[in-house]
Amino acid sequence: MKYLTSGAILVTTFLASASFASDVYGPYPITLKGYNGDATNSVAYSGQVGRQLLHNSLKKAIGNGAPMNELKAYFNGSDLELPLLDPVSSADFKVDVTNINDVSKTNLAGKAYGGVINGWPGAMTGKEVLVSMIERAAQTENGYDAKHGHDYAQLVSKFTMGAVFYHQACDNYLDEKLEADNKPNDKPYKDGAYYTGKEHSWDEGFGYWGAAAHGATLSARQNYDIAKKKDMAAADANGDGVVNLKSEMNYAHSYYASAYDKGGVTDYYNTITKAFIDGRQIITDANGEALSDSARSNLKAKARIICSNWEKVIAESVFKYAGSVYSSLEKLKENPGDEALMRKHAKYWGELAGFSLSLHTSGQNLGELGARIDRLVGFGPVVNGSRVIGVDAGGNYFEMGEANADKEMVHMLKLQKLMVDEFGVTAKNNDKLAGIANISEVLGAGDSAEND
Amino acid sequence: MGEVLEFFQSDIIGQFLNPRRRLFWGYLFSALIIAILWLCIIKKKKIRQALRTIFDRSVWLSKSSRADMICFIINRIFMVICRPILITQIFIATALYHTLHLQQIIPLGLFETTPVWLSTLLFTSCFFLLDDFSRFALHLALHKVPSLWEFHKFHHSAETLTPLTVTRTHPVEAILFTLRSAIVQGGTIAIFIFLFGQQLSLFTILGVNVFVVLFHGLGSNLRHSHISVSYPNLIENCLMSPAQHHLHHSSSKKHFDKNFGVALSIWDKMAGTFMNSSRETLEFGIGAETKEYTQTVAHMYLVPIKKVFKNFWKSSRKNRYLFWLSSVAHRKY
Repeated sequence: MKYLTSGAILVTTFLASASFASDVYGPYPITLKGYNGDATNSVAYSGQVGRQLLHNSLKKAIGNGAPMNELKAYFNGSDLELPLLDPVSSADFKVDVTNINDVSKTNLAGKAYGGVINGWPGAMTGKEVLVSMIERAAQTENGYDAKHGHDYAQLVSKFTMGAVFYHQACDNYLDEKLEADNKPNDKPYKDGAYYTGKEHSWDEGFGYWGAAAHGATLSARQNYDIAKKKDMAAADANGDGVVNLKSEMNYAHSYYASAYDKGGVTDYYNTITKAFIDGRQIITDANGEALSDSARSNLKAKARIICSNWEKVIAESVFKYAGSVYSSLEKLKENPGDEALMRKHAKYWGELAGFSLSLHTSGQNLGELGARIDRLVGFGPVVNGSRVIGVDAGGNYFEMGEANADKEMVHMLKLQKLMVDEFGVTAKNNDKLAGIANISEVLGAGDSAEND
Repeated sequence: MGEVLEFFQSDIIGQFLNPRRRLFWGYLFSALIIAILWLCIIKKKKIRQALRTIFDRSVWLSKSSRADMICFIINRIFMVICRPILITQIFIATALYHTLHLQQIIPLGLFETTPVWLSTLLFTSCFFLLDDFSRFALHLALHKVPSLWEFHKFHHSAETLTPLTVTRTHPVEAILFTLRSAIVQGGTIAIFIFLFGQQLSLFTILGVNVFVVLFHGLGSNLRHSHISVSYPNLIENCLMSPAQHHLHHSSSKKHFDKNFGVALSIWDKMAGTFMNSSRETLEFGIGAETKEYTQTVAHMYLVPIKKVFKNFWKSSRKNRYLFWLSSVAHRKY
């Protein structure tokens, strides 16, 4: 009996550790044929972590009212030291980076979406939209244009997540780079690299997703608190007393996924992160050989899981902030002229617009649906009865003088419904049609073939 | 095969398992208990006699009752096919909710500070009243509009009544009932959410509208049965007893177009169509027309359509536009 119990404990411990190991992204062995160097771990995505830090810092810099050259440095990269503005060490949450260039000397500009963005005035490409927003931000006080209701810290941040991170992952690394003749697995990613083409492509996608390598072993609440810099214990996976920003932090859309998942309805964070882990295992299992057709097909299936759920995370954000904009409009109707409320309204609208523009950057044409989303969001929030409706040849916004808050509220309701109908969002934070749905459910379906 | 099984489980068996439906086993059981109590206490029958009366083979296995069973299956199939294209209460509620935002007379959330218990009470009561009134109004229209009456004869052609007779409904009626439900539910929900806010709720028992549970739990299935449970006149003035509904199904001329109400009889009082229950033995059906309409199940479904179109083409070109809404007396049998 004693041996039986010991055996059971051993088996349980083995199974538990095996399942734990499979939920962590890396380390993965070197599989590149002919590699003779010292590297033992083929995982590398420091360039993506560098961009996550540039994005965080750019948002902070806009909010702090930094001058143009500083903002541009975070966007275009710099040979000089680039101080990390977020996350920074505090007594309860210590991080291991102070200069972004120590992680990777990189930039956001070179990776921004090059397609046209119709949801922003000026018919500009994604990159041009970001440049234009940053330039305008530099001309405002702390990134807020009160006249037009544009909160540039939010606009730039939320659109960068889409135009750079989501775009690069789903329109590049998990798309064309999964083809057989593009970055093959039996060759190094580039000359001198210790990782294969497919290994690094997949790692780059994971880096843009922004999840901590051990994030899938944690709860949604823990992942959320890591991004909020509130849970050092959960973040510090290797127990060295400091949060390693390359692998122990949650960034960008992965943070938003954990925010929705903690509601208990969705599991976006784990679904996406585990699909990345499974996909990386498929590549590792090829052991440095070119991927077979079936392996590549399995890898593409994982990529589809990742990108469809990633899109849903963005759609959940559009849903959430449409609800926030609705609520702030409701309050503004009761207290017109309240500047603090208006500031909040602009913030929510900025987040809404940034996320909704991001939906266009995956390389898939949303067609009529995209046009409907753009029109419902508009070019700016309603500010004192007017709103931006375009830009003239000189780059000046022009406004419509009879913008209607009631109509805008209806637009937000329609936007929420569109996110449910077209993207299948289920977390539904700030649901403004929840009352109708709840009561309808209790009353039951009306289809009836019953006489009275 | 899987789909057939799923249909059988969710749309046939499901009707008896869903407490929102009148045929829920719990409501059938409560109706049985009420019928036993009625026969034993009021009619002074012994329990065996009571059970023999309730499970009378001449009622349950009659030709009319067998047709009810076939229609029940056919109608469930029809509803499954039509469900995706029928307008829903959520669609109406959402559209009306949007429209209410654009009017300038009543502000959004006018009564948002009302305590939840009060808004819940108001919503539950108002919905019950509107729902019951709309059922009465549609029922009245089904009798008074000749073209609709042709379809409603489907239901009234039943010569014996069992709880399943409630589903003896022509598909055209089924569409009207669904529309009515969607409009009343959607309209009430939108207006109340607009006025009272998202916290609006409904008083429920086991997750079902409290009035639905009360109405069905207190013997709504006896409305279509051969057990004529009646209430004292004072109560029948407010609440429709099963016996009053039996009178509505009577083929006797003096009972024509009486007691259209469902839960409440106050609507009939207002409309002058009220009649207290009586102890006389009633015959059900649509008189001489019963045979023509119930020759086969196919006749039940097709004769109303044929008659409506025949009458339409027979009417003069000038009067055709009035045909559908004419209120000419129609029950000629």
